[in-house]
Amino acid sequence: MTTPLLEATATIPTGRRRPLARRAALLGLSLLAAFAIVGPLLLADPSAQDLSRFLEAPSASEPLGRDDYGRSVLARLAHATRLSLALSALCVATALLLGTVAGILSAWFGGWIDAVLRAVSEAFVAVPALLVVLLVSALASGGSLWALYLGLALAQWVEYFRVVRARSGLVLGSPAVEAAGLLELGPAHVVRRHLWPDLRPLLGTLAALGMVTSILAMSTLGFVKVGLQPPRAELGLMITESFPFYDVAPWMSLAPIAVLFLLTVCFLALRDSKERS
Amino acid sequence: MTPRGAAYAGVLARRAAQGVGVAGLVSVLCFLIVHRLPGDAAYRIAAGRYGYDLVDEEAAASVRAELGLDRPAWQQLGDWVLDLVQLDLGRSLVTSRPVAEEVGYYLVGTLQLAAVALVLAFVLGAGMGVAAARRPGGLVDRLATGWVASVRAVPPFLLGLMLVVVFSAQLGLLPAVGHGDAASLVLPALTLGPGLSGLVARITRDAVVEVRASEYVQFAHTKGLAERWVVLRHVVRNAAVVLVPYLGVQAVILIEGVVVVESLFAWQGLGHALVHAVFWRDVPVLQATALVLALLIVVVNTAVDVLVLWLDPRPRRLEATR
Amino acid sequence: MRSPLPLPTAVAVVAALLTLSACGSGSRDGAAAEDTLRIAGPFEVHSLEPAADGEVFTRLQVSETLVTSDIEGELAPGLATEWSSSADGTEWSFELVEDATFHDGSALTPDAVVEAVERAAAVEASPLAEVPIEQIEADGSSVTFRLSRPDLTLPAVLTHYSTAVLAPAAYDADGHVTEVIGTGPYEVTELELPASISTTASPEWRGEQPAVAKVSFQAVGRPESRALMAVSDQADVVFGLEPAGREQVEGADGVRMESSLQPRTILMKVNADHPILGDERVRRALSLALDRESMADAVLREEELAATQLLPPSLTAWHPDLEPLTQDQDTARDLLREAGWSEGSGGVLERDGKPLALTLITYPDRPELPALATAIQAALAQVGVRLEVEVTNSSEIPAGQADGTLELALIAKHFALVSDPLVDIAAVFAPEGNDWGVMNWHDDRVTRAIDALLAGGSESAAAKNRETIVRTAHEELPLIPVAWYRMNAAVSDRVEGFVMDPLETTWRLTDLQWAS
Repeated sequence: MTTPLLEATATIPTGRRRPLARRAALLGLSLLAAFAIVGPLLLADPSAQDLSRFLEAPSASEPLGRDDYGRSVLARLAHATRLSLALSALCVATALLLGTVAGILSAWFGGWIDAVLRAVSEAFVAVPALLVVLLVSALASGGSLWALYLGLALAQWVEYFRVVRARSGLVLGSPAVEAAGLLELGPAHVVRRHLWPDLRPLLGTLAALGMVTSILAMSTLGFVKVGLQPPRAELGLMITESFPFYDVAPWMSLAPIAVLFLLTVCFLALRDSKERS
Repeated sequence: MTPRGAAYAGVLARRAAQGVGVAGLVSVLCFLIVHRLPGDAAYRIAAGRYGYDLVDEEAAASVRAELGLDRPAWQQLGDWVLDLVQLDLGRSLVTSRPVAEEVGYYLVGTLQLAAVALVLAFVLGAGMGVAAARRPGGLVDRLATGWVASVRAVPPFLLGLMLVVVFSAQLGLLPAVGHGDAASLVLPALTLGPGLSGLVARITRDAVVEVRASEYVQFAHTKGLAERWVVLRHVVRNAAVVLVPYLGVQAVILIEGVVVVESLFAWQGLGHALVHAVFWRDVPVLQATALVLALLIVVVNTAVDVLVLWLDPRPRRLEATR
Repeated sequence: MRSPLPLPTAVAVVAALLTLSACGSGSRDGAAAEDTLRIAGPFEVHSLEPAADGEVFTRLQVSETLVTSDIEGELAPGLATEWSSSADGTEWSFELVEDATFHDGSALTPDAVVEAVERAAAVEASPLAEVPIEQIEADGSSVTFRLSRPDLTLPAVLTHYSTAVLAPAAYDADGHVTEVIGTGPYEVTELELPASISTTASPEWRGEQPAVAKVSFQAVGRPESRALMAVSDQADVVFGLEPAGREQVEGADGVRMESSLQPRTILMKVNADHPILGDERVRRALSLALDRESMADAVLREEELAATQLLPPSLTAWHPDLEPLTQDQDTARDLLREAGWSEGSGGVLERDGKPLALTLITYPDRPELPALATAIQAALAQVGVRLEVEVTNSSEIPAGQADGTLELALIAKHFALVSDPLVDIAAVFAPEGNDWGVMNWHDDRVTRAIDALLAGGSESAAAKNRETIVRTAHEELPLIPVAWYRMNAAVSDRVEGFVMDPLETTWRLTDLQWAS
């Protein structure tokens, strides 16, 4: 796992805006998302095999050829992209929600709530993320995806918690919020008018990085064959499975590699532009 | 006690407390989760011991009796904790060898790989960062930015596969797998190093740019010291204050990240031990491996805290991030 | 501002580091490559106990068993030169070879043999634990086994690696093996569990010194890595290649594929008491749905490995002339309809509103199993059966058998763990079921035939009994054969005289020569 917190806060903004990169990234992501949403509806069953046609080269009807079981690489790629995007988004959303709520609570109430939450987060930091994912995915048998989801989300929430807690502490201590307290404007007002505008850009950056982390982590788990069962199509699994055929059937490896790279680069570009704007 | 001594003591005390807490949490957690895992542990252990062809009900029953797996869970956990207090990690359920010996062996493998990769990442990243910082926005800077983004976007296993294809399969220069000799360390280190070098490069660059712009470096310039000396003395030392915490984090990522590389290159390390222990339900090995990993993370963080304090002894609020 | 860049320095340092490490080992490799046979295989060695990971030491010819098997699978002298049983088959005597010496210089004594064999018999997982042994005695230059019931399979069981004889000094006070001190032509020089073993020709060896003096074994988990080692001359003998790797080897220079049909069948173990699978028609329909030839071609890259019956033709005695198992999806659909299954939603058949859904479990230890499982999944979907494939630990199969939850399991069953297939066949078709055999299925004809075979008798009667067993299983399908299994190895052209032992009792390293 990587640490979005550090990456997000590491760079000193150079002040250079890059709308072009942002637009290109958004375009790339929407194309991939469209592929992931529409592809599975239109294309063949990703696990339908045609064993007599294994390793068929790309053609007009199968633009990306067939894999070692004669399955359509394009159809598998569409499903794999959908899985990567959907599951990563879910993980990031969960981690973000959990981390943000815990962070605000911690900063707001302080005292023993803060102490408990901080102790928990400190423990999570020292518990290897790998261990969390391994154990949780061993806990769920039968390759159900919730283990993968839970493992990835649990491994990530601490980053959000720490950023939000630190940031909220500053905001809540500011004169504006103190004034709001004096005016008895209520917590909803403080969250909406003070905390949220301040946290939003930071969380956006963290979320973009979190997507990259989740996508990479998932493909890596696919590579070590943890948490996924055949015939599920997953980018990392597809790359691994196609590796032995890299010289006889390069289309099998290149397609998932290209999609994986595109996904991560687009999210990274999005992060950069967000951060610099 | 001097204020500085007090600061060191504070760091050490805080980290020691964290270490003890995490050790307890991790080992109890591992134990509980493994007990809740689906499947009969006796069968798993028997399969790990004898190979799957030979596992049957009798073999599982004899394993269960030998290891006392039918005792209540709290008793088994209690025994483990009692042994741990006496610094005895027990024996592996599968191989019957002392756990300390086994985990120690894997730990050495992990540390070897992590150290070489870290050095590689540092040399590569810091070099690139300093070069890029010389002219922000220049060609080198943009190339470095491209590098940072690419290595962040490529998962290590993919980089490893590509390296294997090029250096081992096509060129035949380096062994694809192996453990022990120096040549077999090259590809795994090259797989891990560049991935980390991106972040190092980026942080170094930003830190150097900032420090360079600051007054005392300008002052050093006016004093007429040779520029190289300026870079070395002030820039590097002050940039290091920023860089060291990140290096610590990198080391932590590395320790966890090696599992993939271990699998790809048949390198014997902690990740390998962890995966096997979960697979075989080898509770003592799992607990010990997790314990070692967690403590390693605490140790790295402690070292970072101490180092930062030494590099920059100005008083600060300690609890900011890590 | 211009100044010398640290970048070139950095690059130089890295380059120097890499060159240094590459050179350092390059020379080492060069030295090793000349006289060391480098073997790579998939299985890790986690323990020195003969009953656990002992096979690697018998294969590397470090340790030996009393009886061994020759290349045809017939019994051959090992540490025992000859053996005989009393007329009633309850007392077996094994005459030990003369002047055999352990690698530590101590002599092989009957007492040492008794000690080692008794240890094996005490481990439930060893086939020897099944033999009704009352007592084992050292007796002059021989070892005598007293049994409580006659058992003709004892010499075959003693070919199993768990019964390998180690020196008394190999064990510590608790009975754990601390060092593998055997009697074979090679002795262990370096051991790094779990991945590497080095051996060298032992001066204590009673026979001729082997032509290959040094051997190194390395366990490499990923099959694609093993294939790379074979094609890029990083190993001389590589076991366990996947089809893709085999193709790579066949296309490469300086290395060739060697193979032999193993007495192993990839089959679906069926819970014959299951509400769906208890119906013989359903089992036959599942069998008819499979296009075994395409599966064998696509997954194993060899059409001939499609199983036409339970046991492969290499076990001639157990391969009678039977109507081959073929694909016929129409008949399969008819059979399912007969059994009460009709069209349901989503292409899955239904009965009483319940879908025809089954779970197949398999394990990743042999890479072709998950691959075949996905092929079976696709084939069954075509006749309206929904199959969930669960790739898990192999031990879930005996566990599922014990608690009755198992439905289908795809396994690779070895039928000659000891040299005589009868021992495994008897276990596989045991009326009470077997973890790696039938589940909730028995047939009196089969049970009688096995009992008769175990009791001995004339060859013509034995042939008839064997056919009864195989034919009954063929018709009722308590085990649905899918494919036979070919053992393969990539062998470098540096090596001559490599012979693939189908039983894999040893890798026959002593027969190897360096190519001139």
